[in-house]
Amino acid sequence: MEILSVQNLTKRYEKFTLKGVSFSLEKGYIMGFIGRNGAGKTTTLKSMMNLVHPDGGQVSVFGMDFATHEMECKQKIGFMLGGVDFYPKKKLRTLAEVTSRFYSEWDNEKYMQLMERFELDPEKKVDELSAGMRVKFSLALALSHHAQLLILDEPTSGLDPVSRDELLLLFQDLIEDGEHSILFSTHIISDLEKCADYITYIKDGAILSISDKDSFLDSYRLVSGTAEQLSGDIKNKVIGLREHKFGFEGMISRSDIAAFNGLELAPADLENIMIHIERE
Amino acid sequence: MKNLLYKEFKLASHPTTYLFLALCLMMLIPSYPGYVEFLYVCLSIFFIFLAGRENKDIFYTVLLPVRKSDVVKARCLMIAVVELVQVALAVPLALLANKMYHYAGNLAGIDLNVAFFGSVFLFYSAFNMTFIPIFYRTGYKVGNALIFSSIAIVLYYIAAEMLVWVPSPVSKFLDTLDPAMMVKQLPILIAGVIVWVATFFLAYRRGAANFEKVDL
Repeated sequence: MEILSVQNLTKRYEKFTLKGVSFSLEKGYIMGFIGRNGAGKTTTLKSMMNLVHPDGGQVSVFGMDFATHEMECKQKIGFMLGGVDFYPKKKLRTLAEVTSRFYSEWDNEKYMQLMERFELDPEKKVDELSAGMRVKFSLALALSHHAQLLILDEPTSGLDPVSRDELLLLFQDLIEDGEHSILFSTHIISDLEKCADYITYIKDGAILSISDKDSFLDSYRLVSGTAEQLSGDIKNKVIGLREHKFGFEGMISRSDIAAFNGLELAPADLENIMIHIERE
Repeated sequence: MKNLLYKEFKLASHPTTYLFLALCLMMLIPSYPGYVEFLYVCLSIFFIFLAGRENKDIFYTVLLPVRKSDVVKARCLMIAVVELVQVALAVPLALLANKMYHYAGNLAGIDLNVAFFGSVFLFYSAFNMTFIPIFYRTGYKVGNALIFSSIAIVLYYIAAEMLVWVPSPVSKFLDTLDPAMMVKQLPILIAGVIVWVATFFLAYRRGAANFEKVDL
């Protein structure tokens, strides 16, 4: 079942344009939304949630048009811009108490369980929490109102590797019941390798690719060779070409493999794919 | 809306919201400009917005299942409550001050009479009409809103006090504690309240329309 559908989302700024972003997410999956800094990840997520006014496009959540059913949609969404960073001098207990009033399906028992599981002390103030704890508190709030769709903007940025790993494992736990879906933006490639089912790649405000992780990885090959092997025909097909005194290196699309017969080809990992695409 | 108003007072209110309410005791200072304590109310409202910006209140609120216009509506309601509570606290103190200093009235401005309280509502209207729409043009430039609203209320204050200071039949009518005249001043109070309600509605409409265009 389609839990989220984004169609032709457009936003024009003076120096940046979000160019007709479209993608969808099924129930029970994790989608990584990747791109370099400034590619349009946050703008897309904010436009989806009406925080930024899109110039065009449509967003549907659980089959409901977000623009006309904003309140109903928000009841089922947990949206995080990083971790909790509002009201830093307020206690978690106070924030949770105020927040709970807005959700018809708030489950206090679940909230207490999550606080215990995440080892969060309700009597602590927000600014006494580490970056990882702030993300966990955001998640606790979202999950306590039974959000089925989590939209997270760079939840792992600023976290140490151990906290990141914990969080990614938590994401995987969450979707196991088949009821939750997660869309999270990141520029940290290892996050995707660990837990994303699908990858949506955005570059300069436009979607470059949407596919499952394995297909995405299989779409590219790393190539290297000598300067003589880099003839005019194939040069144009190399993505992120880098020439050096010993020859060249770059990446090619899987569909172009035949043209590179005899050259050294190797599987590409996500980091290499991103680096070569962004080098273009 | 009840939940949003609860959030306003539980999270967004600033200590000065309550502290400055106590300044209505200034009503008891002999011959002191009556508008000053209401000026402090405007200042406490500014502090609510300032603290809201520092605490990222708008980001917290818009992520809740509410509309953007509800963010403005809740803040407007909070301001209305604060302004009304201040008037409610000031009225008995004005009555007490009038009893204590009846022999002299207020030598530093308009007497604390019915017309004065009508004028206070107009004073609030000038503040609300400028501060709310200007702040919500950006959602963060609270200083701009303060500057323009300060100009509005100072101009209003000068105009209102001029009517009392410049000797004329109007000044005699306005600047008195004579009970018979105070009854005749009732239309000013009623007009003040009507203007306050109408401008609040307008300030909310313009503020919400401005805020709707803001990209957060």
